[in-house]
Amino acid sequence: MTSARSQSFVLGLIGVVLFLIAWEVIGTYRLAGLTWPPLSTVLVFLTTPAKLPLFERATAASFASVGIGYVCGGAGGLVLALVSHLIAPVRPGLDRLVAVIHAIPSIALAPLLIVLASADATPPVISGLGVGYVFYVAATSGLATAGAAHRDLFVVLGASRLSTALRLDLPSALPAIASAMKLSVPIAFIGAIIGEWFGASRGLGLLIVSAMQNFQIPLLWSAVLITAVASLSMFALFSLLERLVQERMR
Amino acid sequence: MPDTPAIRIDRVSKTFRLGDGRELTALTDIDLSIAPGEFVALLGPSGCGKSTILRLVAALEEATAGRITIEGRAPAELCQSHRLGVAFQDHALLPWLDIEANVSLPFHLAGRSVDGARVKDMIALVGLAGFEKARPKQLSGGMRQRASIARALILEPEVLLLDEPFGALDAVTRRQMNVELQRIWSRHRITTLLVTHSVDEALFLADRVVVMSGRPGRVILDLPAPFARPRAPAVMREPVFHDLVDRLTEALEPEGAHP
Amino acid sequence: MTSAIFELSSRVAQRYWAVALVVAGWQIWVSAAGLSSIVLPGPLAVLTDFVGDPLSYAEPAGRTFAVAVVGLLFGFVLGSALAVLSWSSRLLNGLLTPLGLIFTSIPVVTLIPIIARLLGYDVRTVVAIVALICFFPAFVYVGSGLRALPPGSDDLFRVFGGSRRQCFLRLVLPSSIPNLMLAFRLTAPEAVLAAVVAEFLMGTDGLGHMFRKAAGEFDTERALATSLIATITSVACFGLALAAERRVLRRWT
Ligand SMILES: Nc1ncnc2c1ncn2[C@@H]1O[C@H](COP(=O)(O)OP(=O)(O)O)[C@@H](O)[C@H]1O
Ligand SMILES: [Mg+2]
Repeated sequence: MTSARSQSFVLGLIGVVLFLIAWEVIGTYRLAGLTWPPLSTVLVFLTTPAKLPLFERATAASFASVGIGYVCGGAGGLVLALVSHLIAPVRPGLDRLVAVIHAIPSIALAPLLIVLASADATPPVISGLGVGYVFYVAATSGLATAGAAHRDLFVVLGASRLSTALRLDLPSALPAIASAMKLSVPIAFIGAIIGEWFGASRGLGLLIVSAMQNFQIPLLWSAVLITAVASLSMFALFSLLERLVQERMR
Repeated sequence: MPDTPAIRIDRVSKTFRLGDGRELTALTDIDLSIAPGEFVALLGPSGCGKSTILRLVAALEEATAGRITIEGRAPAELCQSHRLGVAFQDHALLPWLDIEANVSLPFHLAGRSVDGARVKDMIALVGLAGFEKARPKQLSGGMRQRASIARALILEPEVLLLDEPFGALDAVTRRQMNVELQRIWSRHRITTLLVTHSVDEALFLADRVVVMSGRPGRVILDLPAPFARPRAPAVMREPVFHDLVDRLTEALEPEGAHP
Repeated sequence: MTSAIFELSSRVAQRYWAVALVVAGWQIWVSAAGLSSIVLPGPLAVLTDFVGDPLSYAEPAGRTFAVAVVGLLFGFVLGSALAVLSWSSRLLNGLLTPLGLIFTSIPVVTLIPIIARLLGYDVRTVVAIVALICFFPAFVYVGSGLRALPPGSDDLFRVFGGSRRQCFLRLVLPSSIPNLMLAFRLTAPEAVLAAVVAEFLMGTDGLGHMFRKAAGEFDTERALATSLIATITSVACFGLALAAERRVLRRWT
């Protein structure tokens, strides 16, 4: 590590620690009222053995939604992007459809989804729609990034459309797709949580909203903290992957 | 030339429509025939349309007037039957593949199974033995051009198109690459069209050197390079070679500079 | 004349065939399955409900729009100000950049219930939530626009002498405005969606509240018509932001 980098790392660490200390102090001295608990209280609450099964169940349910939404949404977005790349005339129509679906407020999709599927299917579907949007946008632009020289080469070598897509366009799009993998992590969580707000029978979102309504302050903050830490870790992991892909592909 | 030509460029003109509606005439009335197994070098000032001719022969552009045929067929047909090899100034190696995979690429795109032994031989022929598993960014500029030439030759194409393949190299490396290309070519004798702006390179490599005028490009000189093959670098020190260099250099000077 | 109409309709068809297909499929499915309108009304029924009483949607839509715009502006002013502040001091920059990154990598929407509890169920809370959600994109985008400037800003200030204002106007503003406007365009539709979610959760006012009420009364037609209006409001916000971006860019670059 260069000294500049290690310096900025240390500064950043100090920033995060200061933030956590501020959280603790504001909570301890009630600077923001009774609904802001100190960090230590939240951590103690989180690690209370009696509460563990509650958190475990909710976390498992929400993570399942996030996982299903992420994988299906990502795959769907990619496939749709490939279709619109391979069949140029369908591209404008698909672009609009994706944009319109993205513009619908996710809570407004919930009643439709509850009818079409079920209340418990709503979180993964909303999550998947959000993730699919990011993948579609990133992949359609990534698939067009191959350089003119490479394109000419494939024409001269008589490559078919499909093999150009698979051997040139898709590899060129991998860095953009890796970025989408990273950027869609918080979106997957938002989708799952909002989906649960509308009427799932379990999950962190349900925990958050019922804790809000019943003034269970430590529970509310704990559930939010779990969600935030999970999203942050997954984001960090995919940032690493993104860097690896970028290094490998150029 | 008694044979029917391998490449026939029949009174071809090319006009580009620019973004703002204006038009740019790059080539007028180009007439050129290349015999089977002949190596022709195209010389000319920058911007005279040399690359455009190559791109027309490679079916990357459409002629505005006239016709180009390769063995009587349209150039696009040659591409689709995977019988064309190209190496341009931009090596266009895929950065995510190693050298072996890059050289094998034409097999995949032609839907043929990869002939591993041939790939190995070809990599050795261009002097890259031992670098099969290296990635393009780990190689020097000259080595990348060798790889790109290996890729152009791997399917034994009917026609080879080279657009300033050594244009980005330093003089010493370039000389060395010329010697090697001469050696490789003498073994295969593929119909070749080479674009270059180096008079030495053109004379040393080609059977015939064609000089073009500045824009719009026209053919103004067509000279044979009567040296026996295989050629050694010593050819470049022969008096005949020097005479030809002088004649070509003179032809390349702007009009009005000579009587 | 006819060819112009033909051209226009073929362009519309090219762009909207997929949307039309989905809407038509929805209508056909509802009709064919004989679903009751409580379970799922078709698009025609939703449209009829809206056309029957458009004014009842206008007021909540106006409120949601106003809340979103005010929150968006607050968030952007605060986010850009903090970005400029953190750019002007290496220390602050080092402290805040990772925090900004952390907050963009977590689902900020999940903070809505916490803010609601902290500030109380109130319209001002909705504004604060929208502001919070818009704050981070503004901070991050403006920050990255500023970082494109030559590093060592402290020295730069010194070179420019006492005239910090000059430096800000000549250097800082022009280099950060394109990024700021890009963030503005990307965030504007999200601001509406955040406002709707906050209203939905707290039941205060606006489209989110209307949606919640309609859904609670099993008035599905009204609920879906509300979503439609929310979607249109969000798209309108995007359009306005796009227009603003073009205008500002023409003026500043
Ligand atoms: N795709 C194109 N669009 C517009 N003008 C072009 C295009 N390709 C080449 N030209 C123009 O045609 C002329 C000849 O170009 P080129 O064949 O690349 O020259 P050379 O290879 O001899 O240097 C140049 O003036 C160039 O600007
Ligand atoms: Mg050229």
